[in-house]
Amino acid sequence: MNLLNPLKIFVSSALFSFRAQFGWLYPPMWFTMKFVMSLSQMAFFVFVGQFLLLNNPATRPDIVAYIAIGNAIQMLSWNTVFSVINITSHDKWDGTLPLLLATPAHRLPLFVGRAMMHVFDGILSVAISFVFAVFLFGVNFGNTDLLALLIVVFLTAFTMSGFGLLIGGLSFHFRNPLVFANIFTFILLIFCGVNFPVEALPQPLQAVSHIFPLTYGVDAGRKAIAGATLTDIAPLLGQMLLVGFISIMLGYIFFRSFENMARKTGQIEAV
Amino acid sequence: MPPQTLRVIYSAFRMAMLHWMADPQWVIPNVIAPFVFTFVALTLFKEASGPFGLYAVLGGGMMGMWGNTLYASGFAIDFEKWQGTLEEVVAAPSNLLHVVAGRSVSNALFGLTNMAAILLIAALVFRVPLGVANPILFTLSIVLTLLSVSALGLIFASAFVLSRYAQVFTNGLEFPIYVISGSMFPIALLPLWVHPAAYILGPTWGIEAIRTAAGQTEVSLNLWQYMGVTDVFLTFWLNIGVMLLITLAYVAIAAFLFKKVETKSRRDGTLVQA
Repeated sequence: MNLLNPLKIFVSSALFSFRAQFGWLYPPMWFTMKFVMSLSQMAFFVFVGQFLLLNNPATRPDIVAYIAIGNAIQMLSWNTVFSVINITSHDKWDGTLPLLLATPAHRLPLFVGRAMMHVFDGILSVAISFVFAVFLFGVNFGNTDLLALLIVVFLTAFTMSGFGLLIGGLSFHFRNPLVFANIFTFILLIFCGVNFPVEALPQPLQAVSHIFPLTYGVDAGRKAIAGATLTDIAPLLGQMLLVGFISIMLGYIFFRSFENMARKTGQIEAV
Repeated sequence: MPPQTLRVIYSAFRMAMLHWMADPQWVIPNVIAPFVFTFVALTLFKEASGPFGLYAVLGGGMMGMWGNTLYASGFAIDFEKWQGTLEEVVAAPSNLLHVVAGRSVSNALFGLTNMAAILLIAALVFRVPLGVANPILFTLSIVLTLLSVSALGLIFASAFVLSRYAQVFTNGLEFPIYVISGSMFPIALLPLWVHPAAYILGPTWGIEAIRTAAGQTEVSLNLWQYMGVTDVFLTFWLNIGVMLLITLAYVAIAAFLFKKVETKSRRDGTLVQA
């Protein structure tokens, strides 16, 4: 077996899946939207935090930085979760799903490769959001351990793409994956400590937080910005990688089970 | 308004209702953002005393209306394109504006389901007191805000007829309006240069009127403060009046744009290629 083949499949799957979105999205608009989404989501929650800060003396004084950093890191979910799940939507709507299932390519690099360009797209979204956090909302990055932050952002984007693949794999079994894309991108704002600590959630919901890699990523990101080194945040990164790896594997199992079912029943798009 | 116009608006309204009932899961993408944003705000506000719960719940309801209307405006045209029915809708003797208006109202109405869900969660989970000071004015302000949001949706819908990227605009316009209209915080917090944009939005005035009718006891909109208006009841009617004027302007602009857009797409033959 030629070892280069899986790599070629991985790379071409990554490139084609990313390029495919420009069939319906004008590239300058894609770029503009990165700025609009980053700014407006962050601004919304920062102003809510400021409203609280001005009228409630018990509010934590660093709430603006807390919210701005949380939302900046969460922005990668639009790429690594929403866009990755949306690949499944477009496979169904654009008629490429039967071709995908007919190809003899090895399934694992084909499946995992789909999300990889979105990892880098997500990192770009975070970088843009950090610029807004510094220049518009005065977040101090003076103590940041830059290497630790870079690694946190990369690993968070990578593991969250694993989560996107998990839900994308699951949503092969349903008619409208876009519904899943919306639900699973937005609920991260509730569960992952983006705007408030996980401990502020009702007790039963706190356990749910641990299934999202973003929970560990946001926590590690805040610590790296406060000056924590890579060694300090290594346990968080380890947990995040474990959750991300399990997500990818589960997503792959869902994808293969869908493929087997599709071959047996002849139902592909019309699930 | 002539009875035939009302009939067209009602038919479009009814058709949108039927589409929704045929596939109700589509309401989820439209209201998930307002629902989650409100949940987050209520969690942030839960230890605080003051008007926070009111801001979160009513703001969430208004956001639900806006989110759903915006999706309706953007998605309605794309939906027709996908189904291959846009040509028929445009070729029919009914005015396209009236067709989209019926859909827009029905979808703003669906957005209210979001408000119901938020009220339920606010009352049961967050124990937010939900007494409404003046139920009649509260209902009136919600209905008029719903119409204003629908009219704003019409303006966007006219542009969406010409564009292939309606869905992208839809995603991009949702959050900025939540911020600029001050749906969940006073617009006094926004930078001064953003205020003119807030003042030309009907929902900005609508949410103020809704809050006043629900029981807000102080004048919070900057403009009225600058003008020395201190009576809360008076500001309610001023807010309603300004919102109505803005809504009429929206309808006039939308009618003009729809005529232009329809003429252009008929002349250039670019209706479904756009």
